[in-house]
Amino acid sequence: MVKLNINGVDCFYGSIKVLEKIVFSVEGGEFVGVLGPNGSGKTTLLKTIGRILKPQVGTILLDDIDVYVMKAIEMAKKVAVVPQDTSVTFDFTALDLVLMGRNPHIGLFETETKEDLAIAKKAMELTNIWHLADRKVSELSGGERQRVIIARALAQEPKVLLLDEPTSHLDINYQIEIMDLLRELCKKKKLIILAVFHDFNLAARYCDSAILLNEGRIISIGPIDTILTDENIEKAFRISAIVKRHPITNSLYVVPLCTSELKSVQPRGLKVHIICGGGTGASLMRILLEHGYKISAGVLNVLDTDYDVACTLGIPVISEAPFSSITEEAHKANLNKIDNANVVILTDAPFGRGNLRNLGAAIMALEKGVTTIAVEEKPIQERDFTNGYAQASYMELRERGAIFVESYDQILPILEELEDKLGFMSKVQAGEKNEKPQNNL
Amino acid sequence: MKQKSGEKDYFERFTRWKMIIIFLVLALMLTITFAVTIGPKPIPPLDAWRIIVKNIPFIGNLVGDGSSGVEYSINQLIILQIRLPRIIAATIVGAALAVAGVVLQGLLRNPMADPYVIGISAGAALGASIVIGLGIGFSFLGIDAIQLMAFIGGLITVFVVYNIARTGPRVPMLTVLLAGIAITSFLSAIISFIMITLGESLHALLFWLFGSFTLSSWDNMTVTMPVIIIGLIVIIIFARQLNIMLLGEDQAQQLGVDIEKLKKIMLIVASLITAAAVSISGIIGFIGLIIPHIARILVGPDHRILVPSSALAGAIILVLCDTAARTIMEPVELPVGVLTAFFGVPFFLYLLRKKKSLVISG
Repeated sequence: MVKLNINGVDCFYGSIKVLEKIVFSVEGGEFVGVLGPNGSGKTTLLKTIGRILKPQVGTILLDDIDVYVMKAIEMAKKVAVVPQDTSVTFDFTALDLVLMGRNPHIGLFETETKEDLAIAKKAMELTNIWHLADRKVSELSGGERQRVIIARALAQEPKVLLLDEPTSHLDINYQIEIMDLLRELCKKKKLIILAVFHDFNLAARYCDSAILLNEGRIISIGPIDTILTDENIEKAFRISAIVKRHPITNSLYVVPLCTSELKSVQPRGLKVHIICGGGTGASLMRILLEHGYKISAGVLNVLDTDYDVACTLGIPVISEAPFSSITEEAHKANLNKIDNANVVILTDAPFGRGNLRNLGAAIMALEKGVTTIAVEEKPIQERDFTNGYAQASYMELRERGAIFVESYDQILPILEELEDKLGFMSKVQAGEKNEKPQNNL
Repeated sequence: MKQKSGEKDYFERFTRWKMIIIFLVLALMLTITFAVTIGPKPIPPLDAWRIIVKNIPFIGNLVGDGSSGVEYSINQLIILQIRLPRIIAATIVGAALAVAGVVLQGLLRNPMADPYVIGISAGAALGASIVIGLGIGFSFLGIDAIQLMAFIGGLITVFVVYNIARTGPRVPMLTVLLAGIAITSFLSAIISFIMITLGESLHALLFWLFGSFTLSSWDNMTVTMPVIIIGLIVIIIFARQLNIMLLGEDQAQQLGVDIEKLKKIMLIVASLITAAAVSISGIIGFIGLIIPHIARILVGPDHRILVPSSALAGAIILVLCDTAARTIMEPVELPVGVLTAFFGVPFFLYLLRKKKSLVISG
């Protein structure tokens, strides 16, 4: 089985160190993802292994032979590379280009044989581009070209495949198709695949293990499940993210929340209490947090999406046991939170008997003189599961002067106005006032 | 979207390539026949071929004597000693320049490159102007002083350019190009200076600089012809690797091409055949720039067909141009370089317009 050992590699561009003390080894049949932010050395690592950029320190051994001692042709029989930038502007056809992958197997005085052609054809059929065989490469789309280059790498019949963002130009269906193909080849033919990914979720789904780089060093290495953690992602990319296991694919998926820088945005004085549930408050909580508001939430049932989000974001939350009605105790705690808040936001959550008390809390807030904003992207009629009680409560809210808005986008301006009116020092820079594009979670 | 069976097509292309080569070889034969017969004394084509074939060793005996007598002897003299050497010289020079152009455009991945871009022409011209300026005259193995010094001057210049560009084991082609251009400018300045100091011999130098086959003889091809023929064969051997070089050096290396070795071999061979060509004819422009493009438009980018068809096309065009150079203003002879530009450029521009884009490489 093929073996790749990277022994203490340091690499420089001029005097700038781009890789430092890189040590790892991979065996045939392993699919390894190379992750890390821009400029962390991912591409450089592939170039170093691919015999393009000789390391100043350390060695790269392929089956115990230093790749920089090997001849180009010997190397090309074992290692194929799919580069990031695959733009070509000359008039060769797709088949010509794929056949170039056979070069290491063809002698100087020979030409392609029927067998070479059969191998090229197979590679093109696997990557679904055989119908493009006679087309000029310069006339293909980015994604088609990328598949041609992948076919060329397969035609080399390598033991090691180095891929630099192999699916960056591909449509989602081809991404999955190519990755499935690569994974299958990896397992069946015991290839080593080393691939740079920008997409964590793709990496999580297909890689066995991963190398996380930052500033030219390995900050974490091991099975993919141990690499993709919120701490690692925060360390390398300086963003907070949620890592979860997807119930269908059973692989991890990563949801980036906000950059750590934003977390330390100038705090605002306004305290906001959010009454939500069923996922209606999740993105609102994130956005308000990003804008520096102090938030609390409640009452939420444990296991509710909004409850999970609030916990992940570190928002104080009044909770109730799963699938149970709000108890007197929780309700009182909620009212306490409302007392402390300047604003209450009522999201368009569905209401049933169990959480009807939350509407009562909103009415109490108005009674106590706390500004209350009710969001109605979805009218209450469609989310009233209480035979009209909830609708009646909404009538009362309206009468008592709650601010009704039709979309979540309208909330931030209202809060800013309130902030000014209540005389809080608004130290937020002008730039921060521009609304962030709101990604609904 | 056409959906042909690429498999069958692929091997059909080899057949198509053979047809192209056969066609071009026939066209070259026809051109040579035409060129041999035309001149102050017209010679019938059949007589011309009889004389040519008769003088090829071994095969010659198979041909009947045909007409003999004074007429035949005169024709034989004109063909063998005057017209044929010059035509053969134009053939090999045309082939050498066109192929050197293909190689350099491919290696430099630059459509503006020609065989002279890395300094050969300037070095050769300097060698020639020194000989003409100092009035040196000697002959060695049938090679005269101008020829020898031009050949050496060209090669020394490339050697200097190559070593300026080289950093360690690597030779970045862009640096080769820039160093070549810089050295060419520098040497041109020296040549201009020599030209000012030249008196009567200025005309001789100018004629050499424009390119001419006036002085071609069998003798001055004894060394250069084998150099060019061997050079062309070497380039054809590496044609498939030249294709891969078009992808860029990184990718070529990862596909198993020893790029530094290939660059070195190709630069040496291209320089040798260019220097040999220049030493025969002086500096003939445009063939090395335009023929590769014309051939690329006609037969495609694959060097396996591009190199031989460029060689044949270069030979045909240069023989035609030289024939025109010696006949259209009879008895005054024009420098052939004037005609290559005069006819070559409009034809090239026509193809360019028709094809719209001139794609060579990445």
